[in-house]
Amino acid sequence: MFTYILNRLGMMLVTLWAIVTLTFFLMHAVPGGPFVSERMLAPEIAAALNAKYGLNLPIWEQYLNYLGRILTFDLGPSFKYPGVSINSMIAAGLPVTLQTGLLAVICVVALGVPLGVIAALNRNRWPDTTVMFIATLGVAIPSYVIATVSIYVFALRLGWVPTFGLDDWRGYFLPVFALSGFWISFVSRLTRSSLLETLEQDFMTTARAKGLRKGQILFKHGLRNSLLPVVTVLGPVVANLITGSFVIEQIFALPGIGRQFVLSITNRDYTAIMGITIFYAAILMVMILIVDLLYVWLDPRIKLTKAAA
Amino acid sequence: MTDISPEMWAKVPAAEKVTPVAPPAPTYGQEVRRRLWANKPAVVSIVFIILLVIAAFFGPYLSPHTYYKQDLKLANIPPFFETYAVTDGAGETTRFFLNASNFNLYEVDAEGNMLGLLRGGRKDMIKKSQPYEFGDQTLTLDYSKLPVRLLLEDGSEVRPSGWSWNKTYLFGTDQLGRDILVRQLYGAQISLTVAFVATLVNFFIGVFYGGIAGYMGGKVDAVMMRFVEIISTIPLTLYVVLLMVVFDSGLLSIIVAIGSVFWVDMARIVRGQILSLKSQDYVAAARTMGASPARILTRHLLPNSIGPIIVTLTMLIPSAIFIESFMSFIGLGVTPPLASWGSLTSEAVETLRAYPHQLFFPAAAISLTMFAFNFLGDGLRDALDPRVGR
Repeated sequence: MFTYILNRLGMMLVTLWAIVTLTFFLMHAVPGGPFVSERMLAPEIAAALNAKYGLNLPIWEQYLNYLGRILTFDLGPSFKYPGVSINSMIAAGLPVTLQTGLLAVICVVALGVPLGVIAALNRNRWPDTTVMFIATLGVAIPSYVIATVSIYVFALRLGWVPTFGLDDWRGYFLPVFALSGFWISFVSRLTRSSLLETLEQDFMTTARAKGLRKGQILFKHGLRNSLLPVVTVLGPVVANLITGSFVIEQIFALPGIGRQFVLSITNRDYTAIMGITIFYAAILMVMILIVDLLYVWLDPRIKLTKAAA
Repeated sequence: MTDISPEMWAKVPAAEKVTPVAPPAPTYGQEVRRRLWANKPAVVSIVFIILLVIAAFFGPYLSPHTYYKQDLKLANIPPFFETYAVTDGAGETTRFFLNASNFNLYEVDAEGNMLGLLRGGRKDMIKKSQPYEFGDQTLTLDYSKLPVRLLLEDGSEVRPSGWSWNKTYLFGTDQLGRDILVRQLYGAQISLTVAFVATLVNFFIGVFYGGIAGYMGGKVDAVMMRFVEIISTIPLTLYVVLLMVVFDSGLLSIIVAIGSVFWVDMARIVRGQILSLKSQDYVAAARTMGASPARILTRHLLPNSIGPIIVTLTMLIPSAIFIESFMSFIGLGVTPPLASWGSLTSEAVETLRAYPHQLFFPAAAISLTMFAFNFLGDGLRDALDPRVGR
């Protein structure tokens, strides 16, 4: 177990290094430096700026410097906002992104799984068809359409919730709904098909034959076994919810990292783009690792060391 | 006794003697086709996708409008409207409709073709009204309180004569007076191009990468899969964003990003399939007969995993279309004046309160396309599943 985690962490470092290298050289392949603008700088000032940010050094030296800084968790200064470090940009946006993201994950699990169970237990009857109809809608309609339509209906027409911002607790409804809509549908479809498959297994018949109570059959034997595929997708779900927040934060004007990221692209703030990319990648990898560990905890039959081989 | 003519005693030709006991068993392909045809949503989806492709690539040529031509006088025209008719003293009838959100009157003919903006008299800013002259008739547009009213000289209100479709701009126009239908067809072109690129890389890179990794196994497999793992750790949106800095065009970077890294899911699926298939007897037989690995892979292993490949493909195409429209929606995709479904939706959001129709059409287009691909994917999965039916 311990060696497995160590192995995975090693893999993560290699991946992160690859990402850092890729982003670094991509950024430097871009024509024009960060201080090229319509307003011409005096050559002395430009030279001083380049020296301050270490841009006058040969590229490999800049690369090594950058790597060294990353190792000490310093993502460097923003090129567009003087005096602002990328770390503080992330620290400012992270709570918002995490709040909406975690609420969305909770919604996905708390709504998606029960809906799937209801559908599977009422196979081909109206609860099933209703849930599956809604789930098909949810998978097919992009989150930005859900977001804009729900703003139109609930905020503009009905006035139940604010159109943007999180100042009010009601402001969380629409972003979380838009963020989790797709994955609620996805998870309920997955739970349904997985539970249907489990219900036909022999051990379910045995459990029924033993005369176990209905609840026990369903939860201890049925659900626990059919939740494995659901847990497998949770890693990518978390990843998608976090990156999905680009759009949602933009639409609802939430001051999270996703919005920060999109802004830094339109601003061509290279260090910010690099820093946030690396941060995202690191978070995603940690999430996926946690989900993998959770998986083993749920299903003792799975041996991590074997899975890694 | 009935008399039997001599020719009835003649020998029956050999071919006719065979009485078929059962019809020939349908091949797997025929069976799949039959099951797919029986699945109505899937058939409708196929028809929809074909129509979409035809409309996207030929539709713009049939339209008199272009995606970039602006006509600010005819901005924000709705796709249908209530027409009013006013007859002046000389017996000439003028038909027009009222755009209740920008308080303009637009002249139309009886069929619903747009003739142009009607010029009114001086606006009375204090009383919030504007006179319009039709021959000897004068109509007053009163916007002092909503809803807007049209008043005759005697103070009575003019009533609309009925709803009519906009024949000139079937889907209406956007805030710069561009035809939404044509812009949407171009958007469909972009989405389909992205889908096409995604299909190509999945087929050529994903299938072979996964196939080689699965067939070779061992060290080669481990290294190749590590590489896939590294790529798939970063979400595709991040790649697009990074490439956006290098290429100025968002569309190009989306296509490059999809082209370079979108095959990893397919590679994983194919590798899994090949791993389970390569221990089958027929592979061993082929190897004994001296078939080369390339031949075994392309002739034996890949054709046998075509089912999962096609299903994965129909699931990956919509996600590629999704990514393009996401990026265009947050303003990182296509560059104006070119339009994509995502950018059309985001433009419509700005005028959502006044002109919800501008949101409706692109949102419906992308949702319907997603539906079609999802239903097709589900249908194909059921049809290709050898355990079902038979």
